[in-house]
Amino acid sequence: MQKTSAIPPTDEAVVRAIAGGDQESLRVLNQRYGHALAAVAERMLGDRADAEEVAADVLWQAWRQAGAFDSSRGSVGAWLMMLVRSRSIDRLRARAARTLRDDPAEPVDSPDASLEIHSNQQRRVVQAAIATLEDNERSVLEMAYYSDLTQSAIAERTGLPLGTVKSRIRSAMIKLREGLKSLGD
Amino acid sequence: MEALGTLDGEDARAMAAHLAEGCDECQAELRSFREALTAMAISTAGDGPADRIWQRLENRLAVGGAAPAASTLINDRPSARTPNRAERPGVSRSWRIATVAAAAAAIGFAVLSGNYVSQIATMRQEDSVRIAALSRQARTLASELEDRDRELAALHDQISVSGQLTQAMLAPDSRIIRLGPLPPAPDSTGVVAVTPSGNHAVLQVAGLPPPPPGKEYELWWIGSKSGPLRAAVFAPTAHGDATVASTLPPTGEQLLASAITLEPAGGLDKPSGAMYLKGAP
Repeated sequence: MQKTSAIPPTDEAVVRAIAGGDQESLRVLNQRYGHALAAVAERMLGDRADAEEVAADVLWQAWRQAGAFDSSRGSVGAWLMMLVRSRSIDRLRARAARTLRDDPAEPVDSPDASLEIHSNQQRRVVQAAIATLEDNERSVLEMAYYSDLTQSAIAERTGLPLGTVKSRIRSAMIKLREGLKSLGD
Repeated sequence: MEALGTLDGEDARAMAAHLAEGCDECQAELRSFREALTAMAISTAGDGPADRIWQRLENRLAVGGAAPAASTLINDRPSARTPNRAERPGVSRSWRIATVAAAAAAIGFAVLSGNYVSQIATMRQEDSVRIAALSRQARTLASELEDRDRELAALHDQISVSGQLTQAMLAPDSRIIRLGPLPPAPDSTGVVAVTPSGNHAVLQVAGLPPPPPGKEYELWWIGSKSGPLRAAVFAPTAHGDATVASTLPPTGEQLLASAITLEPAGGLDKPSGAMYLKGAP
């Protein structure tokens, strides 16, 4: 990878370079996603050290299996986020005593600083999309995303009817997707 | 729900079967939901350093992950849920533990095997270098030993000849011929002891210059009738000394003199070179 390039390489180009054995590209991928991966894992596991270990596991898996990445199945970010959720869920299931936080639906404060991978405009779009969600939609969606709970388990935990859980999650995801459509334009 | 992985047992199986049939519309929707959830997760995570994560990765790279693995199927889904949920098929705890232990053992074995293979290869390379060096040293020592053996054999010969010289000089019938220096070797001296009863003659010289390459000294008996006869061919030591056995002078003939000349290596039947020492009985 050419470090002197004025235009940063795309995520797909970074992954291709990783598949070729470029360690510097792995460092770039960590710079772009390492913190976010750890944050998602911490949200799910409730432990920063475990979360960083999971983030390292995911990036290590990306390093080992970059050649198998298929962009037709989704973006690099979606791939990594799917991996971090999977690895975090694996870790949760491996724990003898589950350490889910008392209220996993409680959202964390979003820092004002922008992600490297997102311009300020993109970040505003995402936050605006999230802002369109009703509070109860957002809490159920985040509970579903950041935990290892099925929709039935969420219903049981929240005391909501299963149908309500399903409809809130679906409604939240549709609003989120619609709000983010401009990012793909 | 599939995008979140929160579908319950029967719903999850039905969705998986439907997606496996290749429904493009649902696949596209699934992708779009996943991208939306990813954007939400990244935006919520905010920004921050990832130095400690990189340190962990660097450690792994140092241990043995210098190169990515060949393309393999990506396991981007979590393992099966725990069996304490009624709606899911059960998997025994012992099996999970055994599976995890086996996987950990396999990973550990793979890492250790990689390290050991690398270490063994390095050790074998170092051993090869040591063996080659020891072989060279052994050849040098063997060569030096052969030189020492030759020197020892020469010393034995010299002692033996010196003993013969002593016997010859002490024998009652011995004849001593002293050799005087000539211009090519003015500092040289020599003596020949002839003992007919012992059937041997011995020459001892000192102060002879080292012969040029391809040359040796030759001792002659000079008889009254036959003239010069070949007696011995020799090369002195680096100090110009030599003690050598020679043939006996011709019998039945008067010995007029004995002389030493410089001749081609191996000697000649008749003298051709310069005379270095000469003496008469």
